Amino acid sequence: MKHISQRQLVGLLLLLGAMGVAMGLCILIDRTPDGTIGLAWPDASFATFRYTVLGVGAIVGAALAISGVLLQALLRNPLASPYILGVSSGAGLGVMFAMYLTFTLRSDSLGMSGQTGPAIMGGLAALAVVYALGQRRGKLDPVSLVLIGVVVSTICAAGIMLFQQLVPTGLRGEFITWLMGYLPQSVNPGLLWICGAITVVGLIVAMLMGSAMDAATLGDDEARSIGLAIGPLRLVMFTLAGVLAAMTVALAGPIGFVGLIAPHGARLILGPRHTCLVPGAALLGVTLVLGAYAGSRLLNLGSGQLPIGIFTSLIGGPAFLWLLLSGRGQS
Amino acid sequence: MSLVIDQLSFSYGRIEALRGVTVQANSGKLTAILGPNASGKSTLLRCAIGSLKPLRGAVLIDGKPVHAMKARDLARRVAYVPQRSTVSAAFTVREVVELGRYRLPRRASRVHDAIERLELVDVAGREYSALSVGQQQRVMLARALAQIEPDGLLILDEPTSAMDLRHEHDAMKLLQELAAAGATVLLVMHDVTLAGTVADDVWLLDRGKLVVSSQAADVLTVERLDEVFGVSFESIRTEGGRIVILPEACPRNEPAIMSKT
Repeated sequence: MKHISQRQLVGLLLLLGAMGVAMGLCILIDRTPDGTIGLAWPDASFATFRYTVLGVGAIVGAALAISGVLLQALLRNPLASPYILGVSSGAGLGVMFAMYLTFTLRSDSLGMSGQTGPAIMGGLAALAVVYALGQRRGKLDPVSLVLIGVVVSTICAAGIMLFQQLVPTGLRGEFITWLMGYLPQSVNPGLLWICGAITVVGLIVAMLMGSAMDAATLGDDEARSIGLAIGPLRLVMFTLAGVLAAMTVALAGPIGFVGLIAPHGARLILGPRHTCLVPGAALLGVTLVLGAYAGSRLLNLGSGQLPIGIFTSLIGGPAFLWLLLSGRGQS
Repeated sequence: MSLVIDQLSFSYGRIEALRGVTVQANSGKLTAILGPNASGKSTLLRCAIGSLKPLRGAVLIDGKPVHAMKARDLARRVAYVPQRSTVSAAFTVREVVELGRYRLPRRASRVHDAIERLELVDVAGREYSALSVGQQQRVMLARALAQIEPDGLLILDEPTSAMDLRHEHDAMKLLQELAAAGATVLLVMHDVTLAGTVADDVWLLDRGKLVVSSQAADVLTVERLDEVFGVSFESIRTEGGRIVILPEACPRNEPAIMSKT
């Protein structure tokens, strides 16, 4: 099951084209101070901001989509999203805790740039707990992982609410902005390169595991009997999916539905084989995130630029419902 | 291919599923594994494919402990068919059968032949999950057929439980042919009558212990089956002279082709 069919090739080219359009819109959509919208190449002073947004959006979209494919295969559940392992709520707790500490020790705000570190630590800590507890007979168990993920998410949500009560009302706004998902216009270049490298490595590793993920769609006993070492595969899938998801949350906050919808959309176009599905979902993920950013620049409700998390959820929610009700959402 | 089960014990927590089972499968034979529910049949199979690590004892394939074998080596020697198999992706029948060659050299002819042998040509392009359970069982049999080598070990857990009579007959004929060609076939089943008809050897399990293992005719006696299953059996001689074992309470009418011994 390693060859790529003509249908898959055409599908990948279509997705590549769609991503190119979304990237172009992301760069070119221009809004003047009087609210006029047009397409124009950005001035040199704005270009860096736009390229940063483009870079972050591409990394976040691709990473969320790859993470979604990995988790849906790992958990044998087409409803699985990258946040099902408690990564986003763990990261949220990390950010909220850091906000509380900063306020208590320095009577100061953490600021958006200071949220990256706590988000990474919180997300990875949640992941470590889910990994430690989500095993049966020494192997990662899909059902246990989901249940432990839900429990960890619930506990983290309680922690978030606790710290929200302990900080002044003004600081809560910072957290809520983070919680809605956003593409920052300014990021440490070194961090961006590291995240880009992690995403590319993740893409390659996931594609190399494509045939193994196909085999893992069988039951554990059958998968082993056809020659799949299911334990090591699950460990790699879990670690890769978790790290990619934690990275996106640290870069751009929790952006909903991309990790759920991108794999499903790519499956409709390319079919279920993972070797082709992984790059297809990554292309669609980038398109969704950058498309949502372009949408947020086009829509003006008088409250400044809307967080893209609102757009991805507004597009992703109905799309997911359609997939679910039409029966096209099977993995 | 030799399969030796040596003093095998396994527990699910405090529940002992297998207790010191020692038996050996003969190559070129179709061996039926019989026993009441919870007698350890499926656990024995899962130990035999290395999915469960024995508490004590060992399962040896060609002298090597199976749970320590690499998955790739296992795939070259053993094919496994469960009673019911779900595939968590929208693969077609052909794609599912191709999975049988996942770790083996790709041979389109093996996949094609297996699909043809199990009469799946008409549904080869259809989605696996859209098939009936009986058809899905034929697909899984085809996957194992595409995988197994002529002298390999084929392990099946009630593989025909949802098949219609003709397809069950064809499947049993296929298993007999594989055994005749040199394969070792281990088959868990509940139909004692069918076991008596198709199996060369029978292993009879009860409450995790091996009651007896021998040639089918020696194991399937009315007295022994009465004792293990708690149901009265009768022995019937067909017009062709074959002895058939039937549960006594089941038939309302005497089968037309049979006469009582």
